This record gives sequence, C-alpha cells and structure tokens, in this order.
Amino acid sequence: MDDNRSTDAAAPAPAAELLGETSPVVGRVIGTEDSTPLEFWVGLLPDEVLQLDDVVIVDRVLPGGEIIRISGIVHQVRARHEGTRFDSDVHLVAEGVLPAQVSEAAQVLTTRFEPETFVPPLPGTDARRAMGTSRDQALLFDTMGARLPVGTSRDGCPVFANFEFIDGRRGAHVNISGISGVATKTTYATFLLHAMFNTGVLGTDALNTHVLVFNVKGEDLLHLDRANTLLPDNEHERYRQLGLPVGPFRSVGFWAPPRPGPSGVPDVASRTTDVRSYFWTLEEFCRDSLLPFLFADAEDDRQQYTMVVHNVAHRLQRDAVAVGDGAVRIGDDTVRTFDELCRVVEARVTDDMTMAEWAGRSIGAGTINAFVRRLFGAERHIGRLVRSDITDPAAHRIDPTANQVSVVDLHNLNDRAKRFVVGTTIRRAFDDKERSGQSRPLLFLVLDELNKYAPRTGDSPIKEILLDVAERGRSLGIILIGAQQTASEVERRIVANSAIRVVGRLDPAEADRPEYGFLPPILRRRATILKPGTMIVSQPELPIPLVVQFPFPAWATRAEEVVASVPSPADVFDGLPR
Amino acid sequence: MTGTGAATIAIEAWAPEYGAAHEPGELDEARAPVDVGLEVPADQWGPIGPSRASTSGALLSEQVGGGPSGAVAGPVLFVDGVRRVDAWVWITDADGQTHAGIAASYAAGAVLCDGAATVVAAEVTRRVFSPAVTGPIETACGTYLPTPVPSDEVQPLMLALQRRMGDLEARVATAHAQPGRRVVVDGPLRQPVIAGAVGFVKTHHVSYLPPMVRDVVARLGPGERTPLFLIGGSWPRWSWYLKLAGADGHPWAGIVRCELDAAEAVETAAARATEVSAVLPRFASEPHKDPRAPQNLYPIGGLERDLRHRLGDPHLVLRALRRAVART
Repeated sequence: MDDNRSTDAAAPAPAAELLGETSPVVGRVIGTEDSTPLEFWVGLLPDEVLQLDDVVIVDRVLPGGEIIRISGIVHQVRARHEGTRFDSDVHLVAEGVLPAQVSEAAQVLTTRFEPETFVPPLPGTDARRAMGTSRDQALLFDTMGARLPVGTSRDGCPVFANFEFIDGRRGAHVNISGISGVATKTTYATFLLHAMFNTGVLGTDALNTHVLVFNVKGEDLLHLDRANTLLPDNEHERYRQLGLPVGPFRSVGFWAPPRPGPSGVPDVASRTTDVRSYFWTLEEFCRDSLLPFLFADAEDDRQQYTMVVHNVAHRLQRDAVAVGDGAVRIGDDTVRTFDELCRVVEARVTDDMTMAEWAGRSIGAGTINAFVRRLFGAERHIGRLVRSDITDPAAHRIDPTANQVSVVDLHNLNDRAKRFVVGTTIRRAFDDKERSGQSRPLLFLVLDELNKYAPRTGDSPIKEILLDVAERGRSLGIILIGAQQTASEVERRIVANSAIRVVGRLDPAEADRPEYGFLPPILRRRATILKPGTMIVSQPELPIPLVVQFPFPAWATRAEEVVASVPSPADVFDGLPR
Repeated sequence: MTGTGAATIAIEAWAPEYGAAHEPGELDEARAPVDVGLEVPADQWGPIGPSRASTSGALLSEQVGGGPSGAVAGPVLFVDGVRRVDAWVWITDADGQTHAGIAASYAAGAVLCDGAATVVAAEVTRRVFSPAVTGPIETACGTYLPTPVPSDEVQPLMLALQRRMGDLEARVATAHAQPGRRVVVDGPLRQPVIAGAVGFVKTHHVSYLPPMVRDVVARLGPGERTPLFLIGGSWPRWSWYLKLAGADGHPWAGIVRCELDAAEAVETAAARATEVSAVLPRFASEPHKDPRAPQNLYPIGGLERDLRHRLGDPHLVLRALRRAVART
C-alpha cells in the first residue's frame, strides 16, 4: 500500500552507501516537523526502536556532491496515533473499529557536522543508528586527545570525556551537583579517580599524581582501599567494557582528627588501623598565620573585628618564637595548647599596655570583646586540631604526597573546624605547588559541600583560596573536583571555571535555575528522576551533555561494604601439629 | 392553535453542509418493482431485532453482535473510495477543437476489522477525462492517464470519474474478499457483484416500500431491521432498512439501507441480513466525531480520511499540473 508515492517528494540520494556506512537504518527524517541543523525528527521504521541517548547519523548530499555527515543524540521519543482526531478515538482503535496507525518519532539534537557545513538533513533521508566508529565520531571521541571513561551509555557502550579538559591542558576542574543520598556525587568522584589512575590518561605522571579527598559525611571514604563485598558479579562486565580493572584503590592514606582529650588517637569508629590523626602545631599556626581561617567571615569588611583578627595574626607571626617541639613562646609565656594560646591572646588584646600593638590603634572595647568572644567560641572546636602536647608532630602533618590518595576525615568536626581544616590544608598544598613552580604531577582535590566553603554570598579566607584554585589551579596543576547539592548556592566563578560539569538527581526547583543552563530542557527534567548511578556529564567539546551510568564501586564506600580482613577458619587449630 | 399537542422538533444528526440522510419532501417512487412479501408476508411486517432467530438459526448463533463496548467478532471488510477534481482542463486537439475535461484523482481502499482496524488496501489513480485525444500528463505528483469520454459536459465527465472510482473499488474489494470475511461496500451494490458483499446506502432518494409497510421503518429501534424486500427489474437485489444505534429524534434518523445480491435464496439472504445488521451498529459513529453520524461508519470515515490524505495536497497537485502543462 505504500507503493504509490506519487505525491511524495523524491527520496534524497543515499549518501551513506557511498561512504560504505554499515550502521543499520532505523528510520527517516520526517517532513512534518522542521528539520534544522541543530535538531530534527526521525520517523522510525516498523520494528525499529530508538531510545533516549541513542546516537543517530544522517548524511546530506550538497548540490556540489559533497557529503555532510550529521550526527546527533536522541533527546526525546514520541509515539502517537495517526488518523485519529479525538482522545477517545484510542478506544475505537483498540476495539478494532477505527483504522489508525501508530507512528513513533525520535527527536535528535545534533552533536557534530563533518565537514562543518551547517545544513539541515533533508526529510526522507535515511537515519542510522550509529555503531562503532560512527558512534565514536558522533560523540567526538575520535578527536579527544586523552580519553577518560566517564561511564556507559544506556546501550552499554563506553562514554568518554576529554581528559585534556580536566588536567589543565585545555581546561580544568570537575563540578558535580545533585541531591544528597540519591545523586551519588562522591561515589562518582571516586569513580573518576579510579578511571584516571587506571586508563593511562595520566601518562608517566600516574605514580606521582596525588589526590586529597575530604570526607565530609560519615566514615564513608575511610575504606577506599578495601574491596566492596556488595559488588554484583555482573558489574565486572561493565568495568571490562570501560577498560577498567575491578578493585579498590591501592595506595590510600587516611587522616582523621584526634579525639578530644590528650591522647591524640584518631577519632574514627569503623576503622582502627592505618589511620593517622592530624593536627597543626602552634608553631605552624603562628608562623603560617592560620588564625583568619578560624573566622568564616574574616574577609568581610563590614565586620570591625576582622581588623583585630589580622592584627593578632600578624603579631603571632612576628612574636611567637618556636621552642623546637612545636610549641611557641610569646613573651614570657610558653604555649602548648590552643586554650593557652587563646588566653595569651586575650590577655594581650585586653591589657592596656599591649592592646594597641595586638588589637590595633583606636579599636573600641566592643570590637575587641567581639573578637575574644569568637576566639573562645572557636577554642572548643579547634582545640584538638591545634596543639603541641603530642610528640613527633611531623607524623601528624597531613602529607598529600605520602600516598596516591589521601583521605582527610572531617565528618566529626563542626562547621568552623571543617572550614579551618579545608582552608589550611588547601592553602598549604597551594603554597607548596606555587613554590615548586611545576604543574606536573597534578594534585587533585575532592571536596563535597562546596556551598559551605565557597558560598555565593560573602567572603572568607576559605572561599578566597578555593577561588584561587578554581582560577589559577589550572596552571599550577591543582585540579578541583568539587561537589554540592545546589550549584546555585556556590560561588559562580568556581562553577564557571569547571570545564566538566556533572549533574546527578536534582531537586525540580533547583533544576530550573540558570546555573544548569547547559542542560537542554528535557535533560533538566530527566535530572529530576535520575536514579543513583546515573549522571549527566557535560563537557566543552560536546554541545549536548551525555547521560551516563557508572558501575557500582569496586571499592568500599561504606563500612558495611568492607570485606572481613581476617577470615575465620572453621577449625582454629587448623595447620597446627597435633 | 389548531393541533392536538405541542409540535416536536428534532435536529438532523448530519452536519448542515451534508444536508440530510433522508431528502426533505417526498421521495421519488421506485421505478423498479418491489416485492415486500418474500421473507415475511406484507401484513405481518414488523421490526426484526438482532437476537431474533431467523429461518437459518445456525448462522445466527455463529455471529456475535457487537454491543457498544463489545469487541467485534469475525472479520469485516469495509470498502470505500474517494474522488476529487484536481483541475478543469481545456484541451485543443490536433483538429484545433477545444474540449473541456477534468484532471481528477481518485482512490479506493479497504479496512479490515478483525479485532484491529487496519487499512489493508489503498490505491490512488489519477486520470484526465476529456473527449479530446491527448497523451498522459506527467507531473511531479504522478501521471494523469488520458481517459476518453463521449462528451465534455459536466454530467458525463463526473459520471465517468464516478464509474472509474467504482471500478477501482470493485477491484480492491475483489482482491481482499475472502471466505469468512463479510464485505461491506459503501454505497449501493454495483455489477459485477462480489459474492456475499453488502451494499451500504446512507442517503435515501427513492421510496421503495409501499405505504402499507412504510411505517415499519419509523418503528425500528436501534439495531433492528425491516424484513427483506426484493428490488426487481433488470438486476434484482435484496434490500432492507436498518436503524443504527444511538440515533433518535425523527422517524428516519439513523436509518441506512442495505443491499444484497438477489442470487441468494431468501433464507440465506435473511440470515445474512440479520448477521450483518447485528454487526454494523457497532461501527456507527457519534455526532461529534463524524458530520454524517451515525450513518458514516467509523472504519469508513477513517478510510476516507486516509484515502483523501493519499490524494495529496490539492494545492500542491494543482501546482504540479500547471507546471507540467507549462513545460509541454
């Protein structure tokens, strides 16, 4: 019945045959919707299916004979009854009374024109499901200088990102947004690290590349070096498809804050071995001028007391004399704990004799009191992190270069202490990098809850240092893999500087914010229903973000996933002489 | 006020542009002789319901009448055609004589309802009808085959088009008629007749029934039919009136006339009439979905839409014709 096509426009020339294309034809470009260079619709042949995220290619022959290969991604698929006019006609059709045809069409957003002539595909042109090389070309994988697997597409094929946009050569930084618990942001960040270390994208630097991971929630990341017992068997296949080994991270150092009290034992519950406690000595605190990091709003010029903060920090830097074991002497006072330091500072800024030098000239008593109040407010939380009452303080200094991955646990700390640890650790790493003058090997920072450290409004030393990383890290070789629930609450410049943007499940109201302008409307809606393990990855070269699934982590991301390290034999006397 | 009661008003179910199924005023009297006493004696005429056992009950028990929500049992093939004058043409032949003609497109198709309604056939043909001798007109929308007609007056031209469409319908019906399929052809039956095919007539121009039984039509309830009557003459046919479900208001609302070849015996014909009458109301359309509801059946309405669509956009076709003619 389709023999009579007398009223149809002639079908365009089959260019694909000329190119030796073997991908199967799944439909034709339809003429009832506008076909444009950026998007077009494909009417599916009977018994053919296109699903979201499938890759489609069509060819257009220009009048001169040149063939343009147009590639794209299925963005929306619709099915409808043709030949019916009323909603209730569906019942008539189903009951076999009214003839109607089901038509299925897929909307394709274009990703690539080869060569670059931006013409629409003509209605009637064959559309093919891109496979193999065609798919790689459609998604620009063939042009990528360094391919980092970032997950698999719905049809199980690997999806890559151009690592040149992560490692600083052409761009840097990764930013991940999504609702806590469902978006699996941190897990995805660890997956990216795993992929990075195991695919050779780092080249000869792989061994010397270091990662500093801040663990903000539970003790989740304190088991990265252990295999995941809950890993389903079928996930092995997905790792194989991505060319990745199945296994935990090999070189991981764990750092946790000391328990409150004099012991200095790391404050963790789910792991007893290979965790070191970290703290700063008073000597470092004074010498490196870390005092401002205690005050989240220290850079806010409207706050009078910030002047006092900077004066005191300056004084401590100048007047504190190291006594050798990490402690300092200020005047006649030897200071071994943070509490003692606070008391000395309080005495100095309130004593009429020293007030002008320590607090600054013509500072009102109210301002000084505000500073002291905040200082003692911090004492409760910072006391265990700044101390010189434990021997061998050098062993408790976070050293990101000691292991490939260093996990710094923050989850037991309150917000002020978290900011202090993050700010000072990154500052130290940043200074070290700046001093070395070499961008390679790279240092990666993984930090969740960016909104806490670099909020959109206000200024703080931590935000300052994170902005430094975002804006100058690319040339210094410090790459930030940042994450947050809502990108709208994070400093715009930090998100804007991230070349790779990843979105997990989003809150519907959040998904509509302009920060997610890189997501086409339908992807925004999809972002609100993404399941754990599915992310949307946007990269600079591809105009359309890709939806990817990443395999279940082969490393433990929770205490429950850890393999029992000591197997209990059935017979405890097994192997002993009898 | 001279009447005995208030006047009742009924609104015609068909959309105004289609007129009415029953032509206003007196119907023409049938020219062919009509015999109303063959199934039931004329004095015993009355409505026949779908459940009434007919003379050959075996056939009846096989068929399942489709209620408003019931699925239709047994395949039914509906055949219909559409036609359109694409352009009037003026052809000056070799003798210098100018003739009028029409370039027309017509199509015929079939819908098979066997649980699903599927357009199983749709054929489109384009012809130019004119007494002048000419070659085919090749256009971007298809080729118009020359078709000679005796006169270039409107009536014969239209009749020729109508006949060609009928031929195409017959061809489609023949190609898809199979044993076990009830074939329903839109419009009166034509010769040569397809065995078992039922003609389905929506409009009534001729009064076939004598006054003594005529009121039975008005008494028909939804799904009921009149007894068979034989339309005689050179080509005798069985015929009966059927009231489709859902129509109300005036005596002839929702009435269709069906035809069957008179070659069949009266018992067989009656059984088939009962069987078809039980099935057809299921396909009756509703006023908001079809301007000629309920007589224009859903499958036929759907088929007509499909066929018209296949005739192509009239403006595009006209443009193609103009361009083709300008080229020659």
